[in-house]
Amino acid sequence: MNGWIPAATVVLAGGLGTTLWGVSTGGLGRRVIAQNLSTALVCPGLLLLAQGYGRTSYVDLALLLALLGPVGTLVFARLLADDLAEENPAGWGPTWAAVTVGVVVVLVLCAVTGPGRAMVKLLIVGALLIGGNLLASRALSGGFPGVGRG
Amino acid sequence: MADAVIVVALLAVAVAATAAVVNRDPARQALVLAVLGTALAVLFTVLQAPDVGLSQLAVGSALTPLLIMLSVRKVRRRSAHGKDGTQ
Repeated sequence: MNGWIPAATVVLAGGLGTTLWGVSTGGLGRRVIAQNLSTALVCPGLLLLAQGYGRTSYVDLALLLALLGPVGTLVFARLLADDLAEENPAGWGPTWAAVTVGVVVVLVLCAVTGPGRAMVKLLIVGALLIGGNLLASRALSGGFPGVGRG
Repeated sequence: MADAVIVVALLAVAVAATAAVVNRDPARQALVLAVLGTALAVLFTVLQAPDVGLSQLAVGSALTPLLIMLSVRKVRRRSAHGKDGTQ
């Protein structure tokens, strides 16, 4: 029994709880932000689970989620552009909070893993997660004018 | 204590599936469905089936919302077009 599984439980419970609450209530803009944050909060949880189970191949799940989660959010940003244009949901506060969680988890895991290929993979996951999340948030807040008016 | 994470994942899947049914607007249902796909992937992972979780992530987080949103858009466009035709 190690401390990684309880840590993953806390991150997953907090992340999935808040995003489910956000995605099932309120206006459309808030729901899209919550869907974006579900990626950013579940991905660190998956990384912690991989460390807890002691199987480095589980990191592939977090890698795929960091890659495809922002793609899913961009799908919504593109196809709901007309509905979102009136709201221009920003949600930078929750976004930066989620990014902070991701950075802390990736840095802690890097410190535990030590230098090597596994650490490079962790850093790639972190960079994809944070970059994709910020990109999707910017797309949601109307940061790319002229896109999504098709 | 190790079962706590399984309970959390099961609860998240149950709540997300219920929320997807309770919401009535297809666009909002697609949003809840994307979160449900992520929660299902977590559930498969904690049940030691990461291969199933991988395919669930690929399908649930991007592909299913894309198909639903494309269908919603096409239906909306067609109904708007039909309204113009009758006037």
